[in-house]
Amino acid sequence: MPRQYEAVYVFDSTLEDAAINEKLGRFHGLLGNPGDMSLNHWGRRPLAYPIGRRETGYYVIARFGAEPTVLPEYERAIKLDDAVVRHLITLFEHELGAPAMSEEELALANRRRDDDDEDEE
Amino acid sequence: MNMRRPQKTCPFCESRVRFVDYKDERTLGRFITDHGKILPSRLSGVCARHQRQLSGAIKRARYLALIPYIRGLQG
Repeated sequence: MPRQYEAVYVFDSTLEDAAINEKLGRFHGLLGNPGDMSLNHWGRRPLAYPIGRRETGYYVIARFGAEPTVLPEYERAIKLDDAVVRHLITLFEHELGAPAMSEEELALANRRRDDDDEDEE
Repeated sequence: MNMRRPQKTCPFCESRVRFVDYKDERTLGRFITDHGKILPSRLSGVCARHQRQLSGAIKRARYLALIPYIRGLQG
């Protein structure tokens, strides 16, 4: 069963845009035929701390559906690529797309919180 | 004697956030100290559920160099 994933890549910012797109194409080619692939290029931005000698990185966020079995090979290819400074692949099944909390859920959360406080006393 | 600290409302619950996003470094930046440590929920008022999500999100954001591990201790 395919699952939804989110991958963040931080590329070396000295790389040309075309080279980055080519690498992304190669990585995503390893996923077979990813369903509902969406790419979000944040572009070049400063890193919060230097990584090696790099002060900036090129951020790309990808969301896709893929079979869990194809992930190890995909991640290995990313790891072996020196141009990828950092990467993070996370499951994206419940996150952000979920609707905001309803009134009832909020009330329930508050009630739970009150109960906890009473325990403290 | 009332030892109970005044109740603060969780900023995430208030804005109806269901899951804390590790990519939103502006929000995460509000919950770290000047040195980059995770702010305790006792100070920020974040509820336990969101505090658990928040600590995970901050650690992911640190790894991706969106927010620093340490700050203000250079040299």
